[in-house]
Amino acid sequence: MFNNFFNALNKYGLNVTLSEWLTLQNALDKGLCESSLTKFYYIARSILVHSETDYDKYDQAFEECFKAMQHEPGVTDRMLKWLDKPDMNELLHEEDKDYLNSVETFEIDKDDVEKKFKQRLKDQDSEHNGGAYWIGTMGKTSFGNTGGNIGGIRVGGGTGYQSAFQVIGARKYRDFRDDRVLTGRQFMAALRKLRQFSSRLDIPKTELDIDGTVHDTCEQGGVLKIVMDKPRKNTVKLLLLMDSGGTMIPYCDLLNELFQSVHKSNHYKEVKTYYFHNCIYSHVYNDPGCENGNWIETEWMFKNLDKDFKVIIVGDAAMAPEELYAKDGNYRGPNGGYSGHEWLLRMRRKYKRIVWMNPKMAPGAAPWREAETAIKEIFPMLPLTVEGLNEGMEILMKRD
Amino acid sequence: MIEDFKSTKEYVASEALMGSVNVAIALQKPLLIKGEPGTGKTMLAEAVAKSLGKKLIIWNIKSTTKAQDGLYMYDTIQRLYDGQFGEEGVDDIARYIKLGKLGEAFESDEQVVLLIDEIDKADLEFPNDLLWELDQMEFYIHETKRTVKAKHRPIVIITSNAEKELPDAFLRRCIFHYIEFPDAALMEEIVKVHFPDIEENLLKNAMDVFYWIRSIRDVRKKPSTSELIDWVNALQMGGIPTDTLKEKLPFIGVIVKKDEDLETVKHYVQ
Repeated sequence: MFNNFFNALNKYGLNVTLSEWLTLQNALDKGLCESSLTKFYYIARSILVHSETDYDKYDQAFEECFKAMQHEPGVTDRMLKWLDKPDMNELLHEEDKDYLNSVETFEIDKDDVEKKFKQRLKDQDSEHNGGAYWIGTMGKTSFGNTGGNIGGIRVGGGTGYQSAFQVIGARKYRDFRDDRVLTGRQFMAALRKLRQFSSRLDIPKTELDIDGTVHDTCEQGGVLKIVMDKPRKNTVKLLLLMDSGGTMIPYCDLLNELFQSVHKSNHYKEVKTYYFHNCIYSHVYNDPGCENGNWIETEWMFKNLDKDFKVIIVGDAAMAPEELYAKDGNYRGPNGGYSGHEWLLRMRRKYKRIVWMNPKMAPGAAPWREAETAIKEIFPMLPLTVEGLNEGMEILMKRD
Repeated sequence: MIEDFKSTKEYVASEALMGSVNVAIALQKPLLIKGEPGTGKTMLAEAVAKSLGKKLIIWNIKSTTKAQDGLYMYDTIQRLYDGQFGEEGVDDIARYIKLGKLGEAFESDEQVVLLIDEIDKADLEFPNDLLWELDQMEFYIHETKRTVKAKHRPIVIITSNAEKELPDAFLRRCIFHYIEFPDAALMEEIVKVHFPDIEENLLKNAMDVFYWIRSIRDVRKKPSTSELIDWVNALQMGGIPTDTLKEKLPFIGVIVKKDEDLETVKHYVQ
């Protein structure tokens, strides 16, 4: 019964398990739905969906099964995989971009683009990069991503040019990215490793001190005397520095997740978060927008956040070598007379424990990624995955 | 035959919410309620208890709460003290076992409504520690080798403010409902439940200002239903002329709590 619905739910990314499905059957057996589709909609939703963020997926599956809505051929998972190439942007040279933009005219009829898009969805059966007709990356048709066309439909991929007037499949795209294996909960579980207990804090004594009780009771010749002690509290202080914008845009969901997890893990003594653009210079920003003015001086940070702060830097370390080495190679805000490289060295001198988490780290040595290689020499660099984060936390907690 | 939960005089529930409550009761599963603060998550349990004529047991979760606290506590220190002075019954451990809220609900002679309030405040593993107890509705007291089993499965309502994500295994056992922020029509009904004699003019103007403030993007903490109710109450008692609410924003501190939000709202008024 309703097998189609079950399949549709899973197709739209809701992992419905057998036990939940049986619960729904049970509800139907008990006649709770009273043969009403609306009631069935709500009841099935309350049993099968466990977060309001999944309501949308449920709605789609429901619509597909029960409204007999005629959907256009969808953007298939396979097609989205062809398109999942954030690195393509780096290969695209300035002059190519200009060329791509000049090919089709700027005045594009939206309906026409949509019609062609649907037709090609039907016809396309293989991967295309850099072509002029099919849906693919780096092309000059109106469809796909990382292309230069102005008024097309973006299919999957990160933001190349924010030009597409319709983003189809963005939601699905998020679900099968490899780096999406990390969920907030997994982040939080890893962050729990950052613990250093101390009882030298000013809080009420609420825990039984067994040794003290035994000692004092014996002192009194066996007449019981209870001794209480302060509970031990986490003393870890955390400084989170996140790269924002530019090449990090494909990872903003992931970063958001990390940020949320850090702030929901309320067991730290202190948490500070600042943002930077590509590399740390004389100022760090208060919010991800990285607007000039809304910042604090890096020197101020050095003075006010002591050396015991554990530092997690998150960034893709994908910058041009001059952004790292030139004393004026930073095109946003001032440098304070040091190159990015020198600022990073100063970071290392100041803080005892620093790790650099990289969402798109090259596996093994990658000499062609010059900046990444240079930064690896300054800080331990780890991929931003469950495993990497766990390893990073261990480095942060290592005793001196 | 199980009675159905309906809106009460004090509590207005949407069709979908009533459905979820009744499904949870019929299937004997915990009902997990999420929603913006101030949408009446905690009030729901009171309303359910009242509507079904059952006793309500509230277990308030704090950041220090352990799963064990809800089951039972063995008051060893009291026993130690009593032992010192040779009080009677010291060898009877059962005297020093104090049941927690969950234990209380299990032991009750009639079916009760158990509210586990703000479950997300507790430690990350807290919900996992309660899986067996909520599934089987029983737990074992090691000290007295006794199993406490629910005489009547309580109706369990759990609220969460989504401060932490709950584990999947826990979620799969729950009936989930997200209380959406009420639209204007439902809001009007809710306010009228609290103030049956409210002037139409006051209600309309107050709601206009309320939804207007909520719609300002820069406002960090959006005012909630309960704050609107407090505000309406304040306006009624203050006898404020109703047509200049938006210009003068009397008692605005009741609905806008943050300094920066106050600045923002004032900025938009001008």
